Amino acid sequence: MFERRLYYHIDWAMLGAILALCALGVATIYSATFDPTRGASHRYITQVYAIALGLVAMMFMLTLDYRTFTDKSHLIYIGMILVLVYVLFSGKEMKGARRWIMLKGSTLQLQPSEFAKISVALVLAKFFGENRGEPQPPDLLIGGGLALIPLALIAKQPDLGTAVTLLPVFFAIAYLAGMRMRILGVLLLAILLAAPVAWKFALKDYQKSRISTFLDPSQDAKGAGYQQIQARITVGSGGLSGKGFKQGTQGQLRFLPEVDNDFIFSVLAEEHGFAGVLAALGLYLFVILRALEAARLAQDRLGSYLVLGVLASFAFQVIYNITMSAGLAPVKGLPLPLMSYGGSSMIATLAGFGLILNVRMRRFTN
Amino acid sequence: MGPDLVTIDRIRRVVTRGGARIARVREPANDWRATLRRRTLIAAVLLGVWAGGIEARLLSLQIYRHADLVTRAARQQMRTIVAPAKRGDILDRHGRVLATSVDADSIYAVPSEISNAGEAAGRLCIAFGDCTQRERQALTERLGQSRAFAYVRRQVPPDQAQRVAALNLDAVGFIKESRRFYPNKELAAQLLGWAGIDNVGLSGLEYAYDAQIRGKPGTVLIHTDARRHAFSRFERPPTSGSSVELTIDEYLQHIAERELHAGVAQNRAAGGSAIIVDPHTGEILAMANEPTFNPNAAYRESQEIEHRNRAVQDLYEPGSTFKVVTASAAIEEKVLSVDAPIDVRAGQIRIGSRVVRDTHDYGRLSLTDVLVKSSNVGAIKIGFLVGTERLSQYVQRFGFGHPVSPDFPGESPGIVWDPTKWTESALASVSMGYQVGVTPLQMVTAVSAVANKGELVEPRAVRAVYHGNRRYQVQPRVVRRTIGGDTAALITAIMEDVVERGTAREAQIPGYTIAGKTGTAAKLVNGRYSKSDYNASFVGFLPSRDPAVAIIVVVDSPHAGTFFGGSVAAPIFRRIAESTLRYLGIGPTLNPAPPVIVARRDEASGRQTAAPETAGPFVSFVADGLPPTMPDLSGMSAREAMRKLVTVGLTARISGDGFVVSQDPPAGAPLEAGGVSRVTLERSPARHPSSAPQP
Repeated sequence: MFERRLYYHIDWAMLGAILALCALGVATIYSATFDPTRGASHRYITQVYAIALGLVAMMFMLTLDYRTFTDKSHLIYIGMILVLVYVLFSGKEMKGARRWIMLKGSTLQLQPSEFAKISVALVLAKFFGENRGEPQPPDLLIGGGLALIPLALIAKQPDLGTAVTLLPVFFAIAYLAGMRMRILGVLLLAILLAAPVAWKFALKDYQKSRISTFLDPSQDAKGAGYQQIQARITVGSGGLSGKGFKQGTQGQLRFLPEVDNDFIFSVLAEEHGFAGVLAALGLYLFVILRALEAARLAQDRLGSYLVLGVLASFAFQVIYNITMSAGLAPVKGLPLPLMSYGGSSMIATLAGFGLILNVRMRRFTN
Repeated sequence: MGPDLVTIDRIRRVVTRGGARIARVREPANDWRATLRRRTLIAAVLLGVWAGGIEARLLSLQIYRHADLVTRAARQQMRTIVAPAKRGDILDRHGRVLATSVDADSIYAVPSEISNAGEAAGRLCIAFGDCTQRERQALTERLGQSRAFAYVRRQVPPDQAQRVAALNLDAVGFIKESRRFYPNKELAAQLLGWAGIDNVGLSGLEYAYDAQIRGKPGTVLIHTDARRHAFSRFERPPTSGSSVELTIDEYLQHIAERELHAGVAQNRAAGGSAIIVDPHTGEILAMANEPTFNPNAAYRESQEIEHRNRAVQDLYEPGSTFKVVTASAAIEEKVLSVDAPIDVRAGQIRIGSRVVRDTHDYGRLSLTDVLVKSSNVGAIKIGFLVGTERLSQYVQRFGFGHPVSPDFPGESPGIVWDPTKWTESALASVSMGYQVGVTPLQMVTAVSAVANKGELVEPRAVRAVYHGNRRYQVQPRVVRRTIGGDTAALITAIMEDVVERGTAREAQIPGYTIAGKTGTAAKLVNGRYSKSDYNASFVGFLPSRDPAVAIIVVVDSPHAGTFFGGSVAAPIFRRIAESTLRYLGIGPTLNPAPPVIVARRDEASGRQTAAPETAGPFVSFVADGLPPTMPDLSGMSAREAMRKLVTVGLTARISGDGFVVSQDPPAGAPLEAGGVSRVTLERSPARHPSSAPQP
């Protein structure tokens, strides 16, 4: 199963970059949740466990040929839908959302929506990989439908942020499978036209205010614009070289919320400055470009699409989170993969990278 | 998929879609790898563009706007609270407190937490016990706003604060503030001035020396988190202001005010000023004004006219007192000798269309008698002989037309017309003290110059400033020589005659020679000289041959029958002078008695006879208002010293431990009850009680 020679084809550089980002994440979580009076919180240890579990998942994803996974993708997909439905009805409710499953006999909780990304990537890779030629409108409809079902279930939890990350999976695969640009244009147009309608009917008030305050944060500096202004202050006060490890104040003094999660990049920017941010950004770019290369080198369409599907949601989250942390996008609760605190996200992301490494590793095997 | 397959596929495409497309090399739909390559390249380029954009943004935030955002971070994380410094004390020349700062509670409220403003205001007003209807309404209004902070009342007395605290209102809190307190109430009110509710000097010496008295406010930097929890603080404590020691003697000030007040009341006058100056040093020992006010009460409760330090701010035409200047010029310039006869026949003189009259026709008068009788005609004739140029020179030399002291920022420079434009009539007017505006301080300074053998010394109200533990003394400053010593002696002799046999006989004090000059000048009312309102003044010094003090008394608009300087101001002068002589312990100069007072004072300062009430002959002075004296504390323990001080009604600031090595005021110095003394203790065997020497 795991032939010895495959070992030499593992992309060690990418794996190194991924682990470096994980380490940076742990350090930043440690620093951001460090309380001057009570000392360090346990979160960074939890994160280390999550990374360890994630690496186990990654190993598992590497051991089997990716084609084995895609062959079973429809089963995985159906199983995942069932779990999402289960979560919707009897998941654990926290902060007004049902997103979690409590694992029996433990305090561990799992967020199935994080794993939905992998399952959607698998099923779409299979669908478009088998479907020869330029995807035609019916293909796109079916593929879109496959993405939209879990998306709707997750959005219902509600967890709009995670739900939206499924869209890049579909678009990336469809796009790289050769979807006509014209169709993409039509879709964009449709979205633009639908936006006012959505504004009027679909969006909740808090979502609207997030968007309007994004355009002008100072109109509600203590309310909805607060986080954005604080993010800007946090990033800006880092300067060129930062305040130093554990020297950040914005997060520790709780001016910035979600410092170990959505705004971890801002904390990094404050403590390690422009230099630190440049390093993190470089690592992410390296990982993404390396994955793109893996897609290019893949032995077959299936492998390429799988890599791209997994990469798409990862890249989308990275881009959105960093853009938001720099105060250039409306605040949305999207974690920064590999760095943010969160077990499910970490395990799912590392498992996803297991698939990417898998495809690259097996580019010479048949 | 092998290469052959690709080729076949490509051929098939070309065949089915026609040759025209060959040139465009359109990839076959199933040549997924080419599409993938092209589109991943596009994605990679877009990713690069995004990364560039983010980096530009980070550069802008972290480098370009770094400073701005750091300040914003600091601003929201740090709260700076200014801790005001305690104002320095103002002390008299013996260290007695004239103005000090005490802690007072200010009451504030959090209006947003008050549901019923009217009720809260009502309860607070009941606790205060002295609310006016308007105040209550204003309070209701303040408490009704939806703000986080509003003062209820600032710097309230302790009893009010206690009653408010007893209400136990949730939304009401207290802040410790420092409140300016003038323990002697009206005493020297205009001179000291006033410090407002924010402890900033607003007038008088409080204003002039505000920079020294105010001190440096401290700051408390409080680190807070987003929920306003403070978790670290950094304090820079305030530096208390410097204490200022005045030249004023509290006792003499009290005498001057008491006598001026009585005199003004007796003559039904509008007001008045009195100044006591040491002519040799320029030190102002007292500066009294009437009417006056209590600076402890709210400022708005008193009137502007009461706040004015008339002695340096109000101009009056000096009238005959100014003849001293005219005579000085004549003698110094050797225009006339003292005995030179001046023809003042007919008792009047015509200058152009104007006629100036004397009260009597004196016929022929010597220069001395012109002053003794205060003949206007004579003064004008002397003035004419001196001439415009020389007279104006002396007017300036004696300090008129310019502020004379740096201690009074609101001091009027006076009015002296440009001499080149003096007409004959103006010269005549100036010669007898009209058409010049002077302040009482200028006049007494000019006469002090005569007393000081011709040297004009800058008058000062501040003697020293205590900064840290050091005392910085103000040195007396001789401004210029006005007249020669011989001339000064001659003028002094003339002024002695004025008191002895002239217009100022009411200023006489048996046993003492006094030099003085009266002045009575009609006030200008609406551009015309009034027939009913006069400024009655007397300026003089004593003992005339060895002057200890120069005193001026100016009474504004006496309306009790007489308005002459000799009958209104001279008696006030005499009463002030009498008390001053006794207080300073100056023995009679005419028939000198044994220097008893000096002997008694020495005796009083001896340790064994410290209690003043036991010194028999001393009682007579106490009866006249002389305060008890400072006991000698040297060698006592802190406890003994305190007990001793309590018996004479003093509080003490004690520093160090062990036994008393120094004290202020010194032993034997007169005291007012309620004063504060400073006692320094040291643990040193050399200074043990029984053998302690006088410090």
